[in-house]
Amino acid sequence: MSVLEVENLTKTFIAEKANILVLDNVSFSVGNDEFVCLVGPSGCGKSTLLRIMAGLETANSGVILFHGQPIVQPTPKITMVFQLFGLLPWKTALENVEVPLEVLGTEKEKRIRIAQEYLKMVGLEGFEGTYPHDLSGGMKQRVGIARALALKPEVLLMDEPFSSLDELTAKTLRELVLNIWRDPELPTNTFIMVSHNVEEAAYMADRVIVMSPRPGEVIGEVKIDIPRPRTKYLREPIYFKLVDEILELLEKGKQARAMTLEQRKK
Amino acid sequence: MAWLIMTLVKYPEIKYLPFYTFSTVFRIVITLVISVVWGVSFGVLAATNRAASLILTPFIDLLQSIPILGYFPLVIGFLFALGPLGVELSVILLLFTSMAWAIFFGVLGAIRGIPTNVVESARSFGLTGWRYIRHVVLPAIAPTVAAGANLAWCDGWFFVIAAEYIQYQGNIVPPPSGGLGYLLAKAAYYYKDIILSSVLLLFITFIVLFFNTLTWHRLMERAEAGTFKPILKMDLSGIGKLGVKISSWPPLGRLRWPKSFSIASQRLRKYSHIERILAVALASSAILFIFYIYIVIGKPPTLGMILQEFNKPPAGELGSLPVLIGLTIGRLVIAYGISLVVAIGLGVLAAEHKKAAAVIYPLYDIGQGVPILALFPVMFLGLNQLLSPRMALELTCIIMLVLDMIWYMFLNILIGIKNIPTEIKEVGQLFGFKGLKRITHIVIPAILPSIVTGSILSWGTGWNTIIFAEYMPSSEPTIPPLSVPGIGSLLDKAGYEYGNTLLLVFILGIIAAVVLLMEGLVWRPLLRKFERYHIEV
Repeated sequence: MSVLEVENLTKTFIAEKANILVLDNVSFSVGNDEFVCLVGPSGCGKSTLLRIMAGLETANSGVILFHGQPIVQPTPKITMVFQLFGLLPWKTALENVEVPLEVLGTEKEKRIRIAQEYLKMVGLEGFEGTYPHDLSGGMKQRVGIARALALKPEVLLMDEPFSSLDELTAKTLRELVLNIWRDPELPTNTFIMVSHNVEEAAYMADRVIVMSPRPGEVIGEVKIDIPRPRTKYLREPIYFKLVDEILELLEKGKQARAMTLEQRKK
Repeated sequence: MAWLIMTLVKYPEIKYLPFYTFSTVFRIVITLVISVVWGVSFGVLAATNRAASLILTPFIDLLQSIPILGYFPLVIGFLFALGPLGVELSVILLLFTSMAWAIFFGVLGAIRGIPTNVVESARSFGLTGWRYIRHVVLPAIAPTVAAGANLAWCDGWFFVIAAEYIQYQGNIVPPPSGGLGYLLAKAAYYYKDIILSSVLLLFITFIVLFFNTLTWHRLMERAEAGTFKPILKMDLSGIGKLGVKISSWPPLGRLRWPKSFSIASQRLRKYSHIERILAVALASSAILFIFYIYIVIGKPPTLGMILQEFNKPPAGELGSLPVLIGLTIGRLVIAYGISLVVAIGLGVLAAEHKKAAAVIYPLYDIGQGVPILALFPVMFLGLNQLLSPRMALELTCIIMLVLDMIWYMFLNILIGIKNIPTEIKEVGQLFGFKGLKRITHIVIPAILPSIVTGSILSWGTGWNTIIFAEYMPSSEPTIPPLSVPGIGSLLDKAGYEYGNTLLLVFILGIIAAVVLLMEGLVWRPLLRKFERYHIEV
């Protein structure tokens, strides 16, 4: 059963009076409990795609259905984790998690309790009163994750959540995210992550959707059928084979774009 | 039109208009050249040589924290002894004090802001000494210098009006070559003709705007190319990005304010203890030096002599000094409050509504192009027709302060809003902040640092303006000048009316102390507090 369906999505940006096509007729669907990665070269429109899913942008044509209903504006059922964390610098860690709940109308005591609970879950107990300025990058992203989860969304969108962290921190946070995804207690089961890190995608996702350079198109997808937890398979041929498959698709997309460019020249 | 010409030709001075225009423009250009040469050479020296920096930076910092118009009477006393040339020189010196500091601190900040990787790569390829300065330092500071020169140019127009109409011991002493400021002052104070002075005011505004479009815009564009960081681009094109086509409105005002605001915050941010002690030492020795020159010429100074000097008028008013300081600060607070509220309103409106922006930007351009000091006599003349002279001056004073402060606040707020990172805006959208909630939770906190920077700048300029605006020089020696009680007018009286230099220095010291105290007690802590609000991208 699919939670999200992307149907014939097209998006153009207007920059300096020229239309730039960023997404060209993109279609795919994401099932319940699925962990999907969108992989593609930078500028291929994958972040834009994520923002349309979040209701932050609108497509020029095509639609994204959430349980059969088109997404037109942000909803607490679909929340997002940002690449640069997107924390409000003038709020403490606790307040940052708490504020979206306030917008929803949750009463003060309850939302503080919820915020504390989620901060504890991401391992930030004792840092409730700290401002983002005094937190490390990894800790900031933990706050970002807690904030997104505190709304109890069904779908969690992540826009290159680990790309501004050092590799060791990123590794720890990947485990944290996978644990949250597997946690049966939490209502958040469907994860969609944008990444340009092929190894990361193959390690985390059930399915990797590969996109071409701009204008972004779905070139193909790779099903990752390595059993979880995958730590012990990281040196196995099965893992490398899948990574290679993704890389081949990326290369294919690059060549396809180069060809269309040449055709246009002629 | 014919009526207008008829009104104007009555005045004998009007035939000098072209010549006066030339001498004012020439005066500003000369001073600008001197200021740029001085600012760049001393700025480079202070930035590349540690010993020079230790001495220069605090000293210049001290000089610039004294309101520039406060120097006026002091400088006059020294230079008038030289005769007509002395008058010309004192006008240029006064203009210099309004231009040079900003360029110096801009250069200093720009050099310190050169990215480490550029500095290191230059060193590793063997660029040292003069070559380093020529290939790395000078190109790096070019945009700041261009921007600083533009700022200085505008400040020069601000002050030239006051500088060309100097009163000394009750007499008006214009520079021999005349000037637009002199002409305007004469029209307003002597002839008391509101039409003539309005026309002259419009003419001066036109000249300012004319040069702004003609020269500065080009220069800034050229300076912009080939810099490390788009220092200017962010601010200048950031506003254009709002959707208002740049070509559709006169691109004047965007030029006036580059990143040099950050000078103010840089200046306030960190000071080593050594620098602070040096600043205090330099300040006291400078004051002692002035005392020395003044008193010691010929005679040995005695306590009796100092006291005697102090007892000359307007020393009688010193008893109510706290009240006078309070009144002046009160005026500044009222004007600041109005500017703050209006500027936040206008800034948010301009950033959020394209249609409003299309109205507000041109308004801003013209508003900050009008030389405020030139507006002073004209506005007073107008208000005096409705109100008593005292009330008219009081109101003129506050309106001038508002007009002076508001654009600093507005531009800083606008830049603050424009610089809110996309992610923060998206977070607001994603988590459902709307309407007032969005303003109070996202927009206002995000611009608090900009508000503080804008406040520092507007209080700085406010102190300058109030010294000028609390006091209305008289047209003839028989009529006493008009003033509203305040420390600014006391300073003017001591300087212009009585020529009491000792008292003048004393009041100047008090004003400087009040300014520094406010920096230390209000702005510095606020700046530090909001530092953590800074959004790292």
